[in-house]
Amino acid sequence: MVIPVELKAKWLWYSILCVLCWGAWVLFSKLGSNEISASAMQFLFAFGFVPVAVLVLILKPGKFEKSLKGIGYSLGNGVLAGIGGLALFAAYRSGGSTPVITAATALYPLITVVLAILILRERLTWLQVVGLGFAVVAIVIFSL
Amino acid sequence: MHLPPWFWFGLITLLSWGIVGLLQKLSTNYLSAEWALVWVSVGFFILEPWLYPGKVLFTYSGRALGWALLAGVFNALGAWALLAAMKTGGKASIVAPFTALYPLPVVFFAPLILHESITALQGVGIVCALVAVVLLSTESPTA
Repeated sequence: MVIPVELKAKWLWYSILCVLCWGAWVLFSKLGSNEISASAMQFLFAFGFVPVAVLVLILKPGKFEKSLKGIGYSLGNGVLAGIGGLALFAAYRSGGSTPVITAATALYPLITVVLAILILRERLTWLQVVGLGFAVVAIVIFSL
Repeated sequence: MHLPPWFWFGLITLLSWGIVGLLQKLSTNYLSAEWALVWVSVGFFILEPWLYPGKVLFTYSGRALGWALLAGVFNALGAWALLAAMKTGGKASIVAPFTALYPLPVVFFAPLILHESITALQGVGIVCALVAVVLLSTESPTA
């Protein structure tokens, strides 16, 4: 059987795993949020990272990686992800329409795409651009 | 022109999370997905003092706390998988929108787990998401 070249790409399977894990994250968040506020949920999320970070280092042991650039980008990643979450709670609390805020902020991948094209010089095929359009429509629908 | 506060807060979210996608790719240019996850976790903990909900934290039931921690575990596993996707050649401009489709399994499993029904509009969303997954994946592994 011939396997399409796309299905051999590791990044694709890791991306699918990410989608499944984040799907589980949403479901468990929904169950927890019956009792716990959104900001308290975000406080507790960080503690869920500890066992996973320890586990991946145990399962894939290697030298301590001390690239200052890498560490800086990763720290920025964690801090900005948290700031984005805090700002989202603030937006909800400051009286805006929940569906509008949710749908608008769910479009964050478009910012990434623009930055990746401008800064990382990434290029998309026309099929991927069409796929991006479908993804935007799906993201907006799911966030309503 | 006066814009309401929620607009500015929403804009901060949009920009922060958009930049995060770029930082994820940049970080995996220098670190393994595993070490990048470790430092992302440290980044999260920097903000913990601002998120600490106070004494109310100790009034939540064990079950609710369990769900919240489990949510965090799966969020972290997803973050590691995303970083691994970028480390193994995935473009930020493809992986970010691809992984933003995570509500897809939620819509599938919500009827089973949360006993919520799927609306016709969500059905359209599922079809769009599946088409997007196929089209975004049309890339050679060496790209």
